[in-house]
Amino acid sequence: MSAAGRSQAMHFHARAGEKVRNVGLQRALQKAKPLFVGKRAKGIAALAEDGLDFELLRSTGKNIRNRTLADLDVWLDIFEERATASGAEVLWARDGAEVSRLVVAIARRHGVTKAVKSKSMLSEEAQLNEALAAAGIRPVETDLGEYIVQLAGETPSHIIAPAVHKTIGEVEALFAKEHGRPLETRSSADIPAMAQEARAVLRQHFLSAEMGISGANFLIAETGSAALVTNEGNGRMVTTLPKVHVVITGIEKLVPTLEDFATLMRLLPRSATGQSISNYVSLLTGTQREGDHDGPEKTVFILVDNGRANLLGSDYQDMLRCIRCGACMNHCPVYFSLGGHAYGWVYPGPMGSVLTPLYTGIENALDLPHASTGCNQCGAVCPVEIPLPTLMHRLREEQNERGLRPWSERLALTAWAWLAGKPVLYRWFARRAARYLSWLADDSGRIRILGLAPAWTAGRDLPVSSGRTFQELYSARKKA
Amino acid sequence: MSAKDEILERVRRGVGKDRFAERRAAAVASLKSAERGPQPTMSADLVGRFRAKAEYLSSTVAGVAMLAEVPAAVAAYLAANGLAGEAVATADVGRLDWAGSGLRVEARPAVDADKTGISGCFCAIAETGTLMLLSGPDTPATVSLLPETHIALVDVSRIVATMEDAFALLRAEHGSLPRAVNFISGPSRTGDIEQTIVLGAHGPCRVHLILIGEIS
Repeated sequence: MSAAGRSQAMHFHARAGEKVRNVGLQRALQKAKPLFVGKRAKGIAALAEDGLDFELLRSTGKNIRNRTLADLDVWLDIFEERATASGAEVLWARDGAEVSRLVVAIARRHGVTKAVKSKSMLSEEAQLNEALAAAGIRPVETDLGEYIVQLAGETPSHIIAPAVHKTIGEVEALFAKEHGRPLETRSSADIPAMAQEARAVLRQHFLSAEMGISGANFLIAETGSAALVTNEGNGRMVTTLPKVHVVITGIEKLVPTLEDFATLMRLLPRSATGQSISNYVSLLTGTQREGDHDGPEKTVFILVDNGRANLLGSDYQDMLRCIRCGACMNHCPVYFSLGGHAYGWVYPGPMGSVLTPLYTGIENALDLPHASTGCNQCGAVCPVEIPLPTLMHRLREEQNERGLRPWSERLALTAWAWLAGKPVLYRWFARRAARYLSWLADDSGRIRILGLAPAWTAGRDLPVSSGRTFQELYSARKKA
Repeated sequence: MSAKDEILERVRRGVGKDRFAERRAAAVASLKSAERGPQPTMSADLVGRFRAKAEYLSSTVAGVAMLAEVPAAVAAYLAANGLAGEAVATADVGRLDWAGSGLRVEARPAVDADKTGISGCFCAIAETGTLMLLSGPDTPATVSLLPETHIALVDVSRIVATMEDAFALLRAEHGSLPRAVNFISGPSRTGDIEQTIVLGAHGPCRVHLILIGEIS
C-alpha cells in the first residue's frame, strides 16, 4: 500500500479531540514533558563546562549536514564503494514496499524464521513488520518501548520514546498477558522488575533469531560504516548475534568523516535525552572478519529514497538535515496536548508535520502544517537549525497555491486581500468589526460564542479589546 | 531502470551539479584532512576526568598500580558484590594469573550463561567517560555484552581526551575498521516505561572499571 494510503493524517482534527479527552494519555504526557525538557536543558548547559558553545556546535552540525546534501550523489557513491569493499552488500529501495520486498527476499534466501529488530522509524514507513509476518517470518521489536508498542498492536507515538503514551498500568497488563503470568498491581517502584522480565524474554529471541534488522543513526562515507546509538544494548545484540544483519536507512543519513560523526554525537544524545553520550555507540563495518567469533556472516545495507530525493534542491531541503533527536516534539505544545498518534503517520511533532505531507502527499495531510502555535520552540532547540515553522508556513502557502484549502477559507482570504488594498474602506470596516466584537463580549470582556466562527470559541473564549482599532489607538497615542 | 539508477538520477537532479568525477575527487581528497569541529577544553588530568565521568554514568572504578595486580582487584570486586569467582574473558586479558587469586577465568567468547565478562579496551575517552572496544579474534564483542557484569581493564596511558583523539589513535594503529567499534559508557539502561531510568536493559547491569597505573 502507498504511504498515503495508510496515513491517517487527514483525520488529525477528529483524533485531536479524542486525544485531548483521553485521561490516561494526558497523564502520561504531563509526566513526560518536564522530564524531556529538563534533561535536555541540563545536557546543553553542561556543554559550557567544557568551553563548548551550543550555537557554534549546532551551526557546525548544520554545515556538516548541508555539505553532505550539497553533493549527496558523490557521497552515496563513495559510501557504496567503501561499504562494498569492506564486505557488505548495498541495495537500493525506491519506496517502503520495495524495502519490504528486499528484506523478505533476503530472509528467505537465508532461511530466516525470526528477525530481531533494533528501533527503525524507516521500517515503520515501510510497514516492514506486517510484510515479514505475512511472509511467515516473525519480527520481534527489542527496544523496550518498541516491544511494548508491538505487544499492544500499536505504532510508536514518539521517535525516541515509542511508548511514551503508555502508563505503567497498561504496560503491566500487556506483560502479564504476553508473558503468561497473573496480573499484579505495579507501581513506579516495580519498573526495574518489569525491565528484567522483558530482558529475560527478549534475550531468548536475540539468541535464536537468524536475522537482525537495524536502522542507522548515521552512515559514514569515509569508512562505509553504519553508526548505531542505543542505551539498552539491543542495537549491539541485533548486530552481533544473528548471522544476517540488514541495515535499513534513508539516503540522507550520510556524513563524510568520523570527525563529522564525532561532532554530531555531541549534539544528538544531548538533544534527545540530555545525555553527554548514549550508553552504546557502535560503528559497524562489513561482516564478521577472518577469525572473528561473532558478527554477521552477511551484512546488507538498504538505502531508501521514499520521497527524500525529491526534497533535494526544493524549498524543503533543510528538512533533510534532520538527525531524528526528537527535541522538536519534546518542546512542542501541540505534541504534548495530543501525543504522537494524533498526527496519523510515522513521524509526529513539528518534524512530522513537515515530513508527513512531503512524503505522503500535501493533499493527504492538510491539517498538519497548521498544527503549530508558531512559537518556534522547535526551531530554537533543533540541533541542526532546521527552520521548522518556516517549512510549515511554506507548506501552508503551497496548500493555498494548489487550491487545497476549503472554499470558505479561500473566499475569506481573497476578500481580506481585496479589502487590505483599500485603506479607506479597510479603516471603515475595521472600525465596524472592532465595535461589533466589543458589543459581542460579556461583562468580563470575553466573547463566549463568536458568531461567524462558533467552532473557534467551542473550547476557549476570545478576549476583546476596548472596541477601538489599532489605528485609532495609535493616532490617539501620537496626539497625547 | 534499476532502483539504484532511478534514485541516483533523482538525487543528481536535486543536487543540480555536473562534473561528477571532479566533485568526487575533491570529496575523497577532503576525507584526508580529518577536520574537527569545536573541541572541548578540559583540564590536563585526563585520568581524573575519565574517572569522574565514568562514575557519573553509574560505572564503578578501582585503580591498581600494575597489570599483575588486576586478578586480586577483580577477586575483591566480585566478593564485595556477592558474585561468583567465575568469569569469561577476552583472550588478550585471559593470560593473567587468575587462578592465583582463586578465580576461574576462561578466555573465549561469552555465552548466555556467563555471569561476568572481563575485557580490556582499545582506549578510553576522558570527555565522556567512555570505553572504546574493537571486535576481533582475541576480543569477541560478546564478552562485554552478554554477561550481567562487565569488568573492563583500562591502562591509564590509553586514556585520550575526545572521540576524535580515539579515531586518530585507531587510524594510526589499525588501517581499517574492524566489524564492530563499540563505545561503551556505563551499564545498559532504559527509560521506556514512564521515563523512569532503569539500569540493566539488554546489556550488562554493572560495569566496573579497573584503571591500571593510576597514581592516586
